[in-house]
Order: sequence, then structure tokens, then C-alpha cells
Amino acid sequence: MNAPEPQVKEIASSSEPHGVGARRPFVDGIEKVTGTARYTADLPAGNALVGMLLRSPYAHAELLEVDISEALALPGVRAVITGDECDMPYGVIPIAQNEFPLARGKVRYIGDPIAAVAAVDEATARLAISRIRLRVRELPAYFKSPDARQADAVLLHEKKQGNIEREVHNEFGDVAAGFAAADLVREDTYECAEVHHAMMEPNAALAAWDTERGHLTLWSVTQVPYYVHLTLARCMKMEAAHIRVIKPFSGGGFGHRTECLNFEVVCGMLARAARGTVRLLQTREETFLAHRGRPESQIRIKLGLKRDGSITACQAEVVQRGGAYGGYGLVTILYAGALINGLYDIPAVKYDGYRVYTNTPACGAMRGHGTVNIRFAFESLLDAMANELGIDQIAARRRNLLVAPAETINGLRVTSYGLGECIDWVEGASGWAARKGKLGRSGNVSKGLGMACSHFVSGSAKPVHWSGEPHAVIVLKLDFDAAVTILTGASDIGQGSSTVVTQIVAEVLGIDYHRIRVIANDSAVTPKDNGSYSSRVTYMVGNAAADAAENLKRLLVTAAARRLQVEESEVIWYGEAAAVASDPDRHIPFADIAEEALVGTGTLNVKGTFTCPPEFQGGKQRGGAVGSSMGFSYVAQAAEVSVDMDLGIVTVDKIWAAIDCGRAINPMSVEGQVQGAVWMGLGQTLCEETVYENGRHMAANMLDYRVPTIIESPDIEVHIVESMDPNGPFGAKEASEGPLSGIMSAVAAAVEDATGLRVRTLPISPPRVFAAMQEARNEAAAAAAEAINKEQAR
Amino acid sequence: MKRILGLWINGRWREEAVAENALLLDYLRDGLGLTGTKQGCDGGECGACTVLIDDQPRLACSTLAHSVAGRRVETVEGLATEGNISRLQRAFHEKLGTQCGFCTPGMLMAAEGLLRKNPHPGRDEIRSALAGNLCRCTGYVKIIESVEVAAGVPA
Amino acid sequence: MSMPDFQLLRPTTAADAVAMRAANAASRYVAGGTDLLPNIRRGLVEASVIIDLGNIAELTHIEFGSDALHIGAGTRLATIAGDAAIRSRFAALAQAAEAVAGPTHRAAATLGGNLCLDTRCVYYNQSEFWRESNDYCMKLKGEGCRVAKKSKRCYAAFSGDVAPALIALDAEIEILGPNGSRRIAIADFYRDDGMAWLTLAPDELLTGVHIPLCDGWTTAYEKVRVRGAIDFPLAGIAVALKRKGDTLEELRIACTGVSSRPLAVEGLDELKGKPLDAAALAIIVAQTEIAAGAMRTTLVEVLYRRGVAPVLARRITERLWNAAA
Repeated sequence: MNAPEPQVKEIASSSEPHGVGARRPFVDGIEKVTGTARYTADLPAGNALVGMLLRSPYAHAELLEVDISEALALPGVRAVITGDECDMPYGVIPIAQNEFPLARGKVRYIGDPIAAVAAVDEATARLAISRIRLRVRELPAYFKSPDARQADAVLLHEKKQGNIEREVHNEFGDVAAGFAAADLVREDTYECAEVHHAMMEPNAALAAWDTERGHLTLWSVTQVPYYVHLTLARCMKMEAAHIRVIKPFSGGGFGHRTECLNFEVVCGMLARAARGTVRLLQTREETFLAHRGRPESQIRIKLGLKRDGSITACQAEVVQRGGAYGGYGLVTILYAGALINGLYDIPAVKYDGYRVYTNTPACGAMRGHGTVNIRFAFESLLDAMANELGIDQIAARRRNLLVAPAETINGLRVTSYGLGECIDWVEGASGWAARKGKLGRSGNVSKGLGMACSHFVSGSAKPVHWSGEPHAVIVLKLDFDAAVTILTGASDIGQGSSTVVTQIVAEVLGIDYHRIRVIANDSAVTPKDNGSYSSRVTYMVGNAAADAAENLKRLLVTAAARRLQVEESEVIWYGEAAAVASDPDRHIPFADIAEEALVGTGTLNVKGTFTCPPEFQGGKQRGGAVGSSMGFSYVAQAAEVSVDMDLGIVTVDKIWAAIDCGRAINPMSVEGQVQGAVWMGLGQTLCEETVYENGRHMAANMLDYRVPTIIESPDIEVHIVESMDPNGPFGAKEASEGPLSGIMSAVAAAVEDATGLRVRTLPISPPRVFAAMQEARNEAAAAAAEAINKEQAR
Repeated sequence: MKRILGLWINGRWREEAVAENALLLDYLRDGLGLTGTKQGCDGGECGACTVLIDDQPRLACSTLAHSVAGRRVETVEGLATEGNISRLQRAFHEKLGTQCGFCTPGMLMAAEGLLRKNPHPGRDEIRSALAGNLCRCTGYVKIIESVEVAAGVPA
Repeated sequence: MSMPDFQLLRPTTAADAVAMRAANAASRYVAGGTDLLPNIRRGLVEASVIIDLGNIAELTHIEFGSDALHIGAGTRLATIAGDAAIRSRFAALAQAAEAVAGPTHRAAATLGGNLCLDTRCVYYNQSEFWRESNDYCMKLKGEGCRVAKKSKRCYAAFSGDVAPALIALDAEIEILGPNGSRRIAIADFYRDDGMAWLTLAPDELLTGVHIPLCDGWTTAYEKVRVRGAIDFPLAGIAVALKRKGDTLEELRIACTGVSSRPLAVEGLDELKGKPLDAAALAIIVAQTEIAAGAMRTTLVEVLYRRGVAPVLARRITERLWNAAA
């Protein structure tokens, strides 16, 4: 071979983790810090036409006419398309497809795309958009769930009575008996504002149409290139084989991009109509209008507790304002019910969920999908009841721990469970025993401590597109250069998935990182992957990567044995070399092994797969697959806050978060994920909310939609508990969604500790706290006045 | 209308006809192909387009290209010298100050501006200097640590 | 979103700038650009000629005179916030400059720009698509006010941080017009009208401010906002106070973000010569409540903005009083 023979490295004997467990920088980090990472909007597009969307100014209207004649006649306009271009509805859930890339017959929210233009430059495109004439008949519009559910409400979608997209009703265990057996039963209501992902990269797509062949190539910001591919084929009525989808660097997703979005299909259709290349950049406002975030939710929840704090029953009703289209909606409403379970040992749960269509941008999946708001309600009520029973809030949680392995009443399998250790660490690190309730007040500032717990799935055990294929596939290519190329369809959106699969391959093969490269997300090259959602990648793709590496290693060991002329059992595998067990001085470098492995066969393409066994795919109830997973992450969080008692401003001073993510493949990355998730939860807790007025998005910018700045963002200390999941790759589970959903209640508890006030509505924003404190002061004053009156009357 | 614009970009003198209404951001990205500088919002709200102008962090989306005529503009592409990434870049890479990477160029330039002025900033000074740069991935914790490491604070 | 076409002029003297403005009816000045340029992109400002004030050296001075501090309108907010003498002797001004947006904004934004900042409203600071779909409003292209349906006036709120500090410091504004310069009290620079909030004539240029030396005073500025940076003030309060023994010799309070102009809190004269006791604080609270008549121009509730302004006024005054002891 062309390089000098490397030294034999006994990586296995090193005390530092090499692959799994190593604090590796991201494999694509250099590109990110040097500015060479190309995101979709950065791709060379000198020849591209400028795409632009006409969006509905009406919240709900029948489209009588879309007249594009004037726009088409403008010089420099290459294509103008409308809903006539595509009559195939799409949607991520195969049984709930009711969205068109461009509206047909009706518009259902302000911002619903109606037509699109491709022109030689932006000014021409803008002019063309302004020349499209609409004739509509406006319809009554509904912006709140209760309004949309009124008996006489006009339906957004046919056959969806009461504008209910999906109702869920189920009961596991005997809830009535549970409440009867309880020493304390309480019920309360909670409200959570709608929130949005606000990933830093605005949406963008680039589409190249090959007129000669009738082929389409689309570059997009997506988390789910495969779903985008399927949707393009469906909506454009093309053979999937004639489409190529590429995801370049992606500036975050958090669930916004876990389904194909209208602009992606429109970009493809525009390119075809214009017979060329079209770039469709979305403004920040348009990115907000694509929404898919966490729905505004009303939650009524009832818990039964024994005197010792053990939970006897839970009953919850959740109403989610779903927005104008199905999207992931039915999954969200199912998740909210299913994942009441799986965190604690609860013998009986009744759940009623309502997903409502409204004339607002469609909601969808957002980090912590479906579980976040219900967890806020559950943990908050548990706190209140523990207080009433005189039980410490940590003790109340300890009383209800599961014991793994366990199967919950709704059929979720818990095979590893480190919540108890998470709670222990948070208790110690936060100084809970000595500080809870004792932080006191100094001047205008009152301090408090609170905690909560949460969990999340490591991948949905049943994919939404059930095709009979494995859940994940990885291909490793070994070639003449003795490099191992990982081919994966898993979308690295900044969470570090390419790094995780690299570390797993490095661990199994024991080879140096310089030998490994990752090629990801090009449908012409990489194996299909369902995408980056439901925290499935580390678990599922990680397992597939380990399988692929094991398969490759077997071939390599065989080759090494052949070259060394010994039995395979005689080969000691060092990764960068192989030696003979009985004669360790006889060794050959990796390059020679690779060369031998290619003899007679050439380039090796070795596959690895992962499939979730059916027993993990959830209960038999309708929708029972949602929430099912092979592994759950567990998290305990404590928050310390300061409350400005005059201004109602809550400042989070410190967060302690302990996560059971099983084996931490990359502890540094786990920390980053936990910090990011906790912090994103803090945004929802303290200041983020979308606001609509008559369906018009009032906060579709980064000034009014308040993503926290570095100033008010606290230190977040992370502790990792490795419960070693029996089925996860090297024992790993998810780490980036579970940490989010406990934060709301932990902060609410800390605010209560500081002020005596329990806020049941998110966000816990300054006006809300200010008003609550004023109300409390007024009540106190009224009570005092009444006492004086009584005294005087006596 | 175009007019000749001369200025220093990452240490190289550039002189060419640039539209009078061009924003520095558009000139960098579309005119020079320096796409490291990002556009994350509809104007002045996120900090992703932060570049250095005469050592000071500024928003390229709220700056006219011609208004920096004759001055030194530095972008993320100019941080590495002779192929070696800077201490700050290395710290962001090795300490995971970057996740998705979209805010990273702006974050780096804001931090670079800080360290040139104040080589040993405290935590509050780091926070103040990066206050105009939003990040949605990291919760800022490892960004602060990265700047500290670059400034020689033991991690 | 690219910029609409315009011609860019870059004068090097204030007089040239004024002449250019007079010669081009559809022209606008740009200084730091942090407010104006995003507004142009959003279609809030139409101008065929932009006059860049960034090349005018004479507008960037900070000079301590015998009786006043003179600051050129082109001085960057970061420069003001970082100036040691201003920090120690005109704390309210330094704090106000430092409270503006984020550091990258302050590195570009100028004193004059912040004083002339366009008024803001959640129905106005939106995209062209948004405003068109909402039939615009009287501030731009439309009719009527979206904040107060029957109003004949515009309630867009002045949201600059520096102006209230300068009001509390009793500053004067220097204005250059075609016929020479004039000086006015800063309070007279503003009008209670969201559409025409400045008394500046179209052909005039704000060139600088004069702040009387105020040794012996203590001053401060604070704003309430949801986030610790970037946000405009929901309510901002500047206080300047002079204490003599146990009595209040002078007190000036000004607010921003709560009406279409920054304004002085009135009715404080009766506090002079008295101690700052509970009764005095109650008057401060009551008078600030009157001044802080915020309207629904932000997504944050009106009651909050009206409620916190008096709290801030009381807190800052108390703090300065104690510090001056």
C-alpha cells in the first residue's frame, strides 16, 4: 500500500474511551467553525430562478378564482403555479392527508400558500406575486379550540364533525376504584400557550429540474429526506426513482422539519413548471407561518394519592388547538395520553383527548412531542397534592418509582430505569434538604427551589410508514483506500447523529477516526432512513451501525486470518492491525487486511440493520403504537429561581438536570443535548408564545417571539446516569427530548417556593406573575379588611 | 445603481462595482460567495450575520456595503490563518460550542471581537458581548465555556 | 428580502447633509442603520435617496465644556456607554445607552438615531404581507388605528432608551437646518403623535445634545423588558435626583415606551425641600401612573406596562436617594 505501515495500536488497552464513551468533537465541527459548512441557502444558485409564494390574507375562505394571467404576462416570469398544479393531498400520517402544497378550493389560515412564482430575480417575483388576483368567499373562522368545537361551527375539513381531527378515549386499570382508594383526590386545570421551534436557520429549498430526463433533484433543510422524497413523488405524480433528495447542513429542526413542508413540494413543482432550477428562500415570518410547533393546550387533570404519596389513579382531559391541517396531530394527541404512563408506577389511567382544527398554522411535532404540556400539568398537580399531604416533593416522586423490567398498563415496556438515581443526584446537587423553602427574600427578590421529573421515547417503535423494512439501515463501504465510509440516511440536524454513528463504528472496529468518513442524506447514495424524529437515531440507527460494523469486522477478521495464514480464532483484532495470538509479533496493518478483504470481491458494501420486535410496538388499543418504544430516557430536574416581587420577573439562576440516557455514547454531546433541551423548555416556561389576532400571527419574528438570550440563560449542570439499556446500542437511549418536559413544572414549583403562588398557565411571563401577585395582594388586603370588619362588628 | 466599492475583506483589498442599496450581508454572500455569514431573521433580531468591522462586531444585515468603504471587514472565513483554525474556533469545535452550526459564525465573530478588546473576560462580560446573538441548540452553556477556554480559563 | 433601489449619498459635513436632504424630497438620513435599514426592507420606509451620515466626523465628538457636556449626534451608543466620564458623571445616560438592544446594535447605532427612533407598534412593525392583509393602518398606507379602533390619532410608542435619560438630565438638542442651527429643550423635540413624533422639520438634522453638568446629582436609567437583551423597553424610567441632607432638592423623572413620546413625569415639584418619605413615594407612584398611559402597541399586556413604570420610578428614586445619603 501507499502509506508506511503504522504502529500497532492497542486501543483496547487504553484507559481513555476510544469510540463509545469518548467526548469526541463533532465529525462535522470543523466545517461549522470555519464557515465552510453549506446550508441550503448557501448552495451555489447563480443560475437559479427566484421562487416566491403568494400566501392567503384570509383565515378561512373559499377560493373562487386565482387569476394568474397578469403575473404570467410579466417579462422575466418563468412560471406561475396554483393549486391546479397538484391534486394529491399530502400529510405525514398516511391516514390523515388533507393538505395541498398550494391551496385548492379553500384557504384555512392566514399564510396558507395559494400560488407560487418563479422569476429571474426577486423584484420580478415580488411584482408577479402582487399581480395575482384572488376572488374568494370568506367563511367564519375559529382561532380557539372552544370556538371551533361549537355545534354550528363551519367545518374546516369535510366529515370532521365539531372540527375534531381526532378524539382519543381510553382507560387502563380501574380508575374509579383508584380514586375510591385514594386518601386525597384533587383536580385542576392547566393551560399552555402555543410555542414554535424557531431553529436558527430559516426554511429554504433548491430544486433542479432535468427536462431531458424528467428528473428532479431537491436540496432542503429537512429532518426527514425520505418523507420529503415520498411526498414529492406523490404530489408531483413522479416515479420515486426519478427524484433525488439531498439534505445539506441543516440549521436545527426540533421537529419543525419532521414532515414534508409545503415549500419543499412547491419548490419542486416550480422547477418543473419553469423547466429549470428554482431557489425558494423563506423569510423568518414565513418560517413561523409553516409552524408545526407545540399546540396551545387546555388540560384538566385529576390525581388520586394515598397518604404516603403513592398514586392510585390519574384522569386527564387534553384539548389541543391543532391548527388548519392534520400534520402529526393525531400522534400528538395520542402521545399526550400514552406517556402519562412510563414515568411512574400508576395503576389506573383514564384519558380523553381532543385534537381540534382551527384557522391557525398547523401544529406538529416539537421536541418532547405530545408529552410536554401534560407533564407540566401532572407534575404540578403532584406537587400541590404532596404539599397538601405534607410530603416532600422529592419523596412523593420516590414513592412512585417503577421497577425495571416493567410493562405499563397501556403496554409500554420499561427495560431500563435510572430515575431513582437521577432524583438522588438532583437532590444532593441542589442542596434540596437544606435549601428548599429556606432561600428566603432579600430586598425585592425572593428565591425558591423546585423540581420535577420527565421521560421520553428512544424512537417510536412503529414507524408511521409501515413498509415491513427494518427500522434502520446503515451501509459501510470499504474500498481500495482502506477507508471506511459510513453511508447513512440519518439526518444530522446539529444533534450530532453523524458523530454518534461514527463513534459506534470506531468502537466496534477499533480503527482510527481518520479512516472513517460519513456520507449522509443523499437519496442517490445513502440508504433510506425514516429521519431524525422521536429521538430514534442513536437507538435505532446506532444499533444498525453497530450491526454493520460487526458484519464488516467479521469479514476483516476472516481476511486477516487468510493473510496471516492462521485460523480466525487465532487472530487478535487491534483495529488498526491484526496479530497472531500465539505470536503477537506477527501482525499486519489495517491496509493489508483491507486489501486482502477485497481480493476476489472488490469494494465491500456491508449492511447493518435494526428492527424493533413486535412485542415493543405498544398495546393493542387503537393508537397503541404511539408512545411505544424500546427504551425510555429518564430525567430529574431542579430549578433555582429569583423572583422580582415588584416586577414579576422570574430569573432562573441555576438548573441541575440528571439524565438516564443509558450508555452515553458521547458524554459531551449528551450534556449539550440536555442543556439545549432544558433551555428550550425554559423558553416555553418563561417567555415564548405565539400570538394570533383574528388568525394573524402577531409574533412571526425573532423580536416578538422571544427566544431567550444568553443574558437570562442560566448555568445548566448535567449529570449522566447510565442505566445500560439491554437493547440500546452499547446500552444507550435517547438524551435530547426527555430533559425538556420537566422544566415547566420545576420552575413553577420554584416560583411557588419563592412567592407562595402556583402558576398554572404557561408561559410564566412577567405580566402573568405580576398580575398573580397583585391579585394575591388584593385578596390578602380584602381578607385583612374583612377581619377588621368582623372585629369591629364584634 | 452600482458604484465602485473598495474595502478590506479578510485581509484582502477588494474593489468592484457594488449596488448602492446592497446590504453588507448580501454583498458578502451573493457578491463574494462568503456564505459563512448567515441570515437568520428578517432584520437585526438574531445576530447570525455578525461580522467584524474594524475589529468591532456588527450586523451585516443592518449595514450598507458602501457605508464600510475603506474599512476592514472580517468574516468567519477569515478567522483561520494559513490553514490553522484559531484558538476560538478550536474551542468551539472541541468544547461543543456549536451544534447545528447556524449561529456559530456570528457567535464566533462576536466572541472574537470581545477577545481582541478584552483577552480575559469574565462570565458576565462574555454574556454581555454575546447578548445580541441567539442560539437555539446549546442553551449557551457550552458557548460560554468555549469562549472561556479560548481565553485561557482552565475548563 | 433584498433592498429596494435607492441612491446613496455620503456627505462629509453636516451642512452638506442638510443641503442634500433639502435637494431630495424623497430622501432619508441613515446613521447606524439598525432601525432604518430593517424598516426599509420591511417596506416601512420608502426613499429614493439615502443620506449616510456615517462619514461626518464633526458629529462624533464628546466634549466636556465649562457648563455642559456636548455629544455629537453621530456618536455610537457603545462609545457613550463605555465612556468612563459619562459613566461616572452622567450615569443615567450611560445606562440608557447600554440598555439599547444588543452589543452589535450599539456598536452601530448612534445617539441621534436613538433619539429619532421611529415609533413602534405591533400593527406597524410587520412585513408588507402582514400589513396588507390587515388593511394597513394610519401610520402607513392605511386608515384608522388598530390599537384604538375609534382613535383619530396614532398611538405607536416611542421606544428609545436614551431620550428619557436626557430629559431627566435636562438636555438640549442642537438642530441644523437650511437657515442655521437652533437649540431646543429635549422635551420640545417630541410630540405626542405616533405618526409625527418629532418636531424636527423635514429639512433639519439633529446634530448633537448639550447636557448641563450635574455634579451633585445622582442619576439612573432602568427598563423593564422580558429578555435581558435585544428587547425594546416595555417601560423605561430615568431618574435624576439631588439630595441635600434629609431633603430632596431636585427630582426629575422621565419615561419611555409608554406613549408616543418620551416624557417627563409631572407634578413632582411639591416634593422639593421635603424628605423622601412614604408619602413622597406615593406621589411619585401616582404621578408616574398618570404619565405611563401605555396603549396596546406591544404583545405584552398594557396593564403590565402601566403597572411597572411607577414601580420602577419608586425603586430607582429610593435607590438614588439612599445612595446620595
